Amino acid sequence: MDDNIQNRNVIESEVPMGTVHPAALEPYRVRLFVEDEIVRDAEITVGLNHRGVERIMEGLPVEKANSLTEKICGICSNSHIWNSCLVAEKALDIQVPERAKYIRIIMEELERLHSHFLYLAHGSEVLGHETFSMRLYYIRETVMDLLSMIGGNRVQYGASILGGIRPRCELDEMRLQQIKNGMDLLEERTTAFADRFVSDPMVMSRITGVGVISQKDALRLACTGPTLRATGVAKDLRTGMKEYDPFEFDVITQDGGDVKSQLLMRVLEIPESIKIIRQAIRELPKGPITNRSWEMRDVNLTKSYIEVPRGTLYHSYALEEGRVRNCVIRTPSMSNIGAMQLACIGYHITDAQLSIVQCDPCFTCTDRAIKIIEI
Amino acid sequence: MNIAYSLIAVLGTLMVAFIVSLLLPGIERKFIHARIQQRVGPPITSPGIMAPIKFFFKQTIDPTSPLPQLYNSLPIISFFVVVVLLLSLIPQMYFLSGLASVIAIVGFLKVEEVMYMFMGSLSKSVLSVRMPFPDIIKGAKHVQTPRTFLEELSTLRAFRLIAFGSFPVYIALFVSVAITGSIYLTDIVAYQQLNGPILFTVAGALGAVVFFIGYMILLNEYPFAILKTKADVIEGPYLEYAAKYRSYVYLTRGFLMFVLASLFATFFLGIAPNIFNPSFIITIIIALLFPMIMAVTSAFSPIFTYKQFYPTVAAVSILGVLAIVAAFL
Repeated sequence: MDDNIQNRNVIESEVPMGTVHPAALEPYRVRLFVEDEIVRDAEITVGLNHRGVERIMEGLPVEKANSLTEKICGICSNSHIWNSCLVAEKALDIQVPERAKYIRIIMEELERLHSHFLYLAHGSEVLGHETFSMRLYYIRETVMDLLSMIGGNRVQYGASILGGIRPRCELDEMRLQQIKNGMDLLEERTTAFADRFVSDPMVMSRITGVGVISQKDALRLACTGPTLRATGVAKDLRTGMKEYDPFEFDVITQDGGDVKSQLLMRVLEIPESIKIIRQAIRELPKGPITNRSWEMRDVNLTKSYIEVPRGTLYHSYALEEGRVRNCVIRTPSMSNIGAMQLACIGYHITDAQLSIVQCDPCFTCTDRAIKIIEI
Repeated sequence: MNIAYSLIAVLGTLMVAFIVSLLLPGIERKFIHARIQQRVGPPITSPGIMAPIKFFFKQTIDPTSPLPQLYNSLPIISFFVVVVLLLSLIPQMYFLSGLASVIAIVGFLKVEEVMYMFMGSLSKSVLSVRMPFPDIIKGAKHVQTPRTFLEELSTLRAFRLIAFGSFPVYIALFVSVAITGSIYLTDIVAYQQLNGPILFTVAGALGAVVFFIGYMILLNEYPFAILKTKADVIEGPYLEYAAKYRSYVYLTRGFLMFVLASLFATFFLGIAPNIFNPSFIITIIIALLFPMIMAVTSAFSPIFTYKQFYPTVAAVSILGVLAIVAAFL
């Protein structure tokens, strides 16, 4: 990419898209600066979904605030409530029963599966491959059924509570068997799909070498999660989380940094999640699922980082008389917006949405008042 | 008697073509796309018949266009061009020799293609520049850059398609011309009635493959739908059409599917569309078969950008040239 082009005041033409556009699942504005249909620069603007969730949480009882965090995202709702509970548990030294920890992991990995399938389906749709998209939504239904069975809803299951797991999310033998069967089915269907996907020359031609984010740029822009790992950086917070200590899994990486690498990253992470779920079912400890013997006290700002399907999720707040103060939430898409802009540059305008979608954006979760500090 | 016979033949053929064309989008979506994608799909009458009827009774809104009346009239003009194209294929119209020739057919198809350019350049939807969003603010990038509507991209693409995209279909038509040695339909049909269909020659078979690719490009079907890619230009030139004008767009597309199938039957099988000719049933079968094959192809293809489009068209065009060379040999 010629630096002069980005520094120029005037480019041949600007094609703005959105805030409403069928290729975008959420409202956001993208300005594409093009020369002969090749994107020379891009600018993404969010802010249409600002709900002020951190402000609403201010002063709420911590249990209520935790439940509210689920509403931040319809895809990774479990991640938010889990991380929010982790903040309070860390601050108040609440011991979570082992069984509850395992069930939380099962929920989180099921959510990762459904998020990755959704990502792949949306990616296929933007690619123009409706059949692949439909097939992936169809495969995803197995996960959605399991989540619905455990939590009672297809999204927002309310599984995590302070000190453990909500009683309705307890996993009895019948549920465990269903999850086990579901994983077998999912593995079989995912393998068949992956074989078909990588052997399709037309699809490979569309995604190979498109929307490339170099490792250097990914690190410079502080990308997280699969977006970073698709550039060859083996960084997964799960390896450092004590909740994941009992489980064996591989950190998947890809080297290309292009759309193909991003898509394959998710495809290859699916079997790892299945592996973790199987281990959790096999070794699920017996015992209580909730610890109710803890006491509320005032605590200073406490932080928690976890690895969610899209990357690193950050929650922090302080507690004062059992109420939340100074809450800050940062979702992974916030870190990845820079990469989305960069990925569009140098490629055909038809690939621009694909280049954005490859970073798995969730702008609705991301929208909040931020202060950018230049380092 | 002869005039009455000719009149009935022409009107009857048009009527049958129109009825069959109404079913084609439904067949494509219900029996192919939906079956492949393991979903129920719409009722067969829905895309081709019920949707246009529904749109006819919707409230017409003024499109956002510098010339709204011209913009709205374009699908109607497009529809009549396709009707005239079919008329030129009907044997009873061969007395108009200028109309019943390859040159006229190429001309009509070109007019049809040019319509997309006009449509694109006259459409100014709310989805891009007109969106009330504060883009040009302090800190925004490249604030002096001229701003383009999404549909203008479609115009550029329509222009490119006129230049190179429709090459295959025209080359395929000239395979028949090369074999028969005449540009007139009457000679092309007569040659095949005497010597058998061109399709069953090496040149004809190659030409048929080339024609089919051209058929998909002319119909802007996946993977060749860069004119209306959902990832950027969405519906492309059609974006601002509403109510009855959208209905004309749907009817034109269905009718064009039938007319192109008739064109194939005439040029490669020697079967001109005529309701009194029993072989006309073969034209109808081709009209049903082509959308099916097209739907299978499109169901398993992503959309092509120029990176894939140019080499595909180039390869198919070379195949077409080889077919013409084979025809001369």
